[in-house]
Amino acid sequence: MAVETAARLPPAIAADHARARRARRRRNELLRHLALAAITFVLVAPFYYVFLASLKNATEIFSYPPKLLPFPPYLGNYEKLLFHTGFLRWMFNTLFVAGSVTTLKIFLDSMAGYALAKVDMTGKKVVFMAMLILLMVPIGALIVPLWSLMSSIGLIDTYAALILPPLANPLGAILMRQFILGLPKDLDNAARLDGLSEFGIYWRIVLPLIKPGLVVLAVIIFTDQFMSFIWPLIATTSDDLQVLTVGVAALRAHGGANYGLWSASAVMSLIPVGVFFFVLQRQFLARSLAGALKQ
Amino acid sequence: MVESGVTAMAGTAGRLRLSPAEHRRLARKARLKRELTGWMFLGPMFLCFLLFLVIPVCGTVWWSLQTGNIVGGTHFVGFDNFAQLPDTVGAGSAIANTLIFAVISVPLILVGALAVALVLARIEHGGSIYRFLVYFPVLVPGVVAALIWLFLTNIDFGLFNNLRKAFGLDPITWLSADNALGLLAVLDVWRNVGYWAMFFVAAIIGLPTELYQAAELDGASVWARFRYLTLPLLRRIIFFAVIVSTIWGLQVFDTALVLTNGGPGTATTTVIYRVWLFVFQSNNKVGFASAISLVLIVVILALTLVQMRLLRDRRGID
Repeated sequence: MAVETAARLPPAIAADHARARRARRRRNELLRHLALAAITFVLVAPFYYVFLASLKNATEIFSYPPKLLPFPPYLGNYEKLLFHTGFLRWMFNTLFVAGSVTTLKIFLDSMAGYALAKVDMTGKKVVFMAMLILLMVPIGALIVPLWSLMSSIGLIDTYAALILPPLANPLGAILMRQFILGLPKDLDNAARLDGLSEFGIYWRIVLPLIKPGLVVLAVIIFTDQFMSFIWPLIATTSDDLQVLTVGVAALRAHGGANYGLWSASAVMSLIPVGVFFFVLQRQFLARSLAGALKQ
Repeated sequence: MVESGVTAMAGTAGRLRLSPAEHRRLARKARLKRELTGWMFLGPMFLCFLLFLVIPVCGTVWWSLQTGNIVGGTHFVGFDNFAQLPDTVGAGSAIANTLIFAVISVPLILVGALAVALVLARIEHGGSIYRFLVYFPVLVPGVVAALIWLFLTNIDFGLFNNLRKAFGLDPITWLSADNALGLLAVLDVWRNVGYWAMFFVAAIIGLPTELYQAAELDGASVWARFRYLTLPLLRRIIFFAVIVSTIWGLQVFDTALVLTNGGPGTATTTVIYRVWLFVFQSNNKVGFASAISLVLIVVILALTLVQMRLLRDRRGID
């Protein structure tokens, strides 16, 4: 319709209109850039401020006006963090626990999703309903029964205590069910007629087809695990089993105000997140969409 | 190939002419096999779900009727814990703090996220770098985020006070008893606005463009298009976001522990914080702890059910 109206106008005026429209579009795009630049500046400035602090010694941190460029950088905070605290051990524990949970969940959830989507079995509806209802119950509200359960089977203060309870989260099974329901039915029917077993169908047909879903699931589980705090806090007591969040919180809680060390630990904690995020940007953003998928 | 397929089919068809009893027996066998396969696939996940989620939720009910110590043994007291909950030191303030926190943070997060999303969804070039930067705070663990905010709110060298000084204002105590909870909510906005912004961007991109073209031709202003098109079209999505972000807001704990230690006083002691204090710090009030946990669980379940209900109803109409 817009094109029709323009075509009926004298050419000179039509060209004018087009120019005005282009100018307006350019102006709006510029305004959007300005707005987004301002917002992202506010969101990112705290990171830069802490990064600066991590490269200052104890007196420089307190000086006003603050130095806005880190030259010459002071590396003592990082040296102290890496060689005089358990930071590297905490990082290893976090990566090990998050990696284990993610690997186990990928299989548990895709298998459960397969059963919920494809196998005609009794009790399926009830289980799925229970999963939907309990989906949002946080581990933080369950620390008393979880702790007493784990302690009664002697698992408190072990890696198993860190890895097992997060496996209960039903989000993955629900997502995988959704993904598998979206696959065409003919595929597994054909495979079944060709004599492939149920497990064969899951392993050789369904898993390869839902690979993008598995990557999104892995990212969701890994980041949630990376950020988890309250359960690791109470499930472990020995220093050797502290995960990153627990160790960093302990730095803050014990040994007085050591801003240099705190800032260095904040910066170092973000490195794995940054690297992982940079590599898997699209899948990370899909985390937000996982919520929408549930509908 | 085709021929052998046909013979195989014919063979099967021939064998299918069975006596009714035999047929029932085979059908039962096939069904049993199907059930077994199904539970073999579902079983491992279901077992974890049962052990570490269903049983603990039921366990919370049991614990909430006990009094004593989590390791020293307990005895049954019925509903005493719930009756005494309003008078228990710290329980009421924990619930109030958590509600105030959610009431401040959730609207700010969602209004902010919607505003960012409206701009971000329309940008033509360079959107990915903004998406990256807006989303980055989402991936910061609460403990680390709180550590970062120590550097913003510090009285002597914090970013906020340095900015005040730059404008000739006197430095103020940011984490005072009056401000701390609000500041904790603002921290939460900083961490979560990107999550919901990306969520809304995806929803906005999915909206039908014809409606907007028609509205533009009719001369509808930007505000009118937002008010009468975008908002109504996103109603369901926004409702979902309100419920889920409220549920998340009610769980606040790690930032309160690291940024303010629950203080000053009990100004930022939230529900989960209080549970943790009751059980694992000196208090040993495991019954009270479970009673408050149960209140939280019930509220979360109620919100979940409301959301499931409304999503289903709307789907029926659409």
